[in-house]
Amino acid sequence: MALPDIPVVAETGALTGNARAVLGEVETLLDGLLRTGEGGIVDIRGLPLSPGDRIWLLEQLGKGEVEIHLDIGGRSRILETAYPAVWWIEHCDEGGHLISEFIQVAYVPELISAHPDDVESGLEHLRNRNADLS
Amino acid sequence: MSDNRILETLAGQGISRRAFLKYCATLASLMALPPSAGKAFAEALAKAPRPSVIWLPFQECTGCTESITRSHSPSIEGMIFDMISLDYQETLMAAAGHQAEAALHEAMERNMGKYILIVDGSVPLGLDGAYSCIAGRSNLEMLKEVAQGAAAIVAMGSCAAYGGLPKANPNPTGAVAVSDVIKDKPIVNIPGCPPIPAVITGVLAHYLTFGSLPELDHLGRPKSFYGETIHDRCYRRPFYDQGKFAKTFDDEGARKGWCLFELGCKGPVTYNACASVKWNGGTSWPVESGHGCLGCSEPDFWDAGSFYKALSMPANPLKLAAGAAVAGAVAGIAISVSNKARKGAAKTGHETTTLADLEKHHE
Amino acid sequence: MNELQFLTWVRGTGLDIAVAIFLLGVIWRLVEIYSLGRKKDLAAPRHTPGASGWHTIVRRSVPPPGMFKQSPVTYVGGYVFHIGLALIVFFFAPHIKLIEGLLGISWPGLPSQIIDLVTVVTLAAMVVVLVDRIKKPVKRFLSTFEDWFTWAVTFLPVLTGWLAVQHLLLPYTTMLALHILSVEVLLVVLPFTKLFHAFTVFGSRWYNGAVNGHKGVPV
Repeated sequence: MALPDIPVVAETGALTGNARAVLGEVETLLDGLLRTGEGGIVDIRGLPLSPGDRIWLLEQLGKGEVEIHLDIGGRSRILETAYPAVWWIEHCDEGGHLISEFIQVAYVPELISAHPDDVESGLEHLRNRNADLS
Repeated sequence: MSDNRILETLAGQGISRRAFLKYCATLASLMALPPSAGKAFAEALAKAPRPSVIWLPFQECTGCTESITRSHSPSIEGMIFDMISLDYQETLMAAAGHQAEAALHEAMERNMGKYILIVDGSVPLGLDGAYSCIAGRSNLEMLKEVAQGAAAIVAMGSCAAYGGLPKANPNPTGAVAVSDVIKDKPIVNIPGCPPIPAVITGVLAHYLTFGSLPELDHLGRPKSFYGETIHDRCYRRPFYDQGKFAKTFDDEGARKGWCLFELGCKGPVTYNACASVKWNGGTSWPVESGHGCLGCSEPDFWDAGSFYKALSMPANPLKLAAGAAVAGAVAGIAISVSNKARKGAAKTGHETTTLADLEKHHE
Repeated sequence: MNELQFLTWVRGTGLDIAVAIFLLGVIWRLVEIYSLGRKKDLAAPRHTPGASGWHTIVRRSVPPPGMFKQSPVTYVGGYVFHIGLALIVFFFAPHIKLIEGLLGISWPGLPSQIIDLVTVVTLAAMVVVLVDRIKKPVKRFLSTFEDWFTWAVTFLPVLTGWLAVQHLLLPYTTMLALHILSVEVLLVVLPFTKLFHAFTVFGSRWYNGAVNGHKGVPV
């Protein structure tokens, strides 16, 4: 008998009602973003959500225009939801396993923007390159 | 080496700032800290110097080392090892013999009062500690010496934290926990047989970030990982509440994934993060694979009755019952014999009272 | 000693000691009582003595005329908590598991929701009979330390068991250990207090009925 043939029920797909609360939290964060410019992050893994809850939440948030793939110590994906400034962030490890998941409310997710220190060292590299070329 | 900043070291190994941020966010999530803590981690860790870590193995099976090093390599947990300067670890270091001992002493002198000491394995006290020696010195002697200069001690695994398997009844080597020997240093216990890799990295990250140990429970365990029981976080919990239990490991209930309480699961009394963090890169964990929790992160779990006996069953066979029943019967018979004797005595001592006696009394 | 060690002790050594004292006490007292011996009544029985015994067992289980109206709390409360205790002790799945572990016999249990309801009703009934005992001057006057004590050692196992199952007040491990400990206290004191009526109630009723029936005064 192969492993997939062993009928073990692992998790339930039932809704717990917690996903509804997450939507409320996102609403509050979005409102805050508009008024104070400060958004926030919701940790999906830190909440007692069933797999059914997670799917429901993804369906409710829908899909927007932007999808960003990052290769940073394993793949990561940042999806814009149907609501502008609400981003769904998935981090995978190098084996492709999902290791953490967040909803971020921000005009641009922090992870995307370059850090000034990195820009500085990049600039230095470019200067060297240009110096070499000339 | 240990003067390097963490982020610089990581960059030298091709780990970008974004990968680092991702790691910190995941770490915060694993530790059940608010998502904003990920940013705090990242900011503090980027600037923090790499601390020197000395790892002493005592009476142990190397399972703890295996757990950490075999965690889906190259891993997010593995990254923490790039953040520290692991100056002494017998199993992993290239040096051996005198060279290794020299490395230990050099690291101690260079970082006196600042290094972190990780201990796995229990400390045997029997026969003056002769049961476990390294370089001709007992574990007890070595622990006392190295602990003196440590900023903090991490007792890794149930043996170092609580004595573990070596301490199991009848404890032939006189094994004790690190905290039984060292009283004047901050000690964080990371029990488990073995502990979850993410837990040790989480504790080290906390120390690097905040310069202190995380909040501990009354058994010295970080609350963020050991705050809830396996049972509280178990996905099979609804079946417990419905009274649906697997009775054997291959009955219909077992196939349907019902609760394993009656098969001896110690989940209700075990504090650990297996149910949420899981094992082997989040693949599965004992209860998900169909076996009850052994309770390996609790003190003396080895002697807490059979792994396969429900918590509501006697931990050990009753030894006194038969003797007590016989003693009860003997006591009962003895008292009844004494009662019979008193009755007999009363009967022989009985004097017949006549009317004349009563009248005489009346006068 | 931490909670798990405490729990292991009450499941192991503690249970061993408690069961031993319980068995010792029960067997001792039963042997003592049944070997007291009464002189044979040589008179011809006026009634069938055995039948009179059975009759009394039933008769004394129902209130005598007028008594129910006088102290309904005693009867209703008494019945409710006695039946409740029996249901909880013998039909809660983990308890059956314990009996199976000790004696090797088992039977189907009741759903935990029903046991939960029975427990709450039992606890309420026990509190009501206690309040009744305190409030009624005659009952209070007749009560001795033993009455208050035996009430407490009976009440505590039910309360701690319920708290453990409901995850209230203390961590489950500690509460479960306290529950088992309270049961052990009950086991230890049972043979040596009025709680021994669990073993003697029907025997003594039968005896009284039989003796009186023999004399022609069935009670």
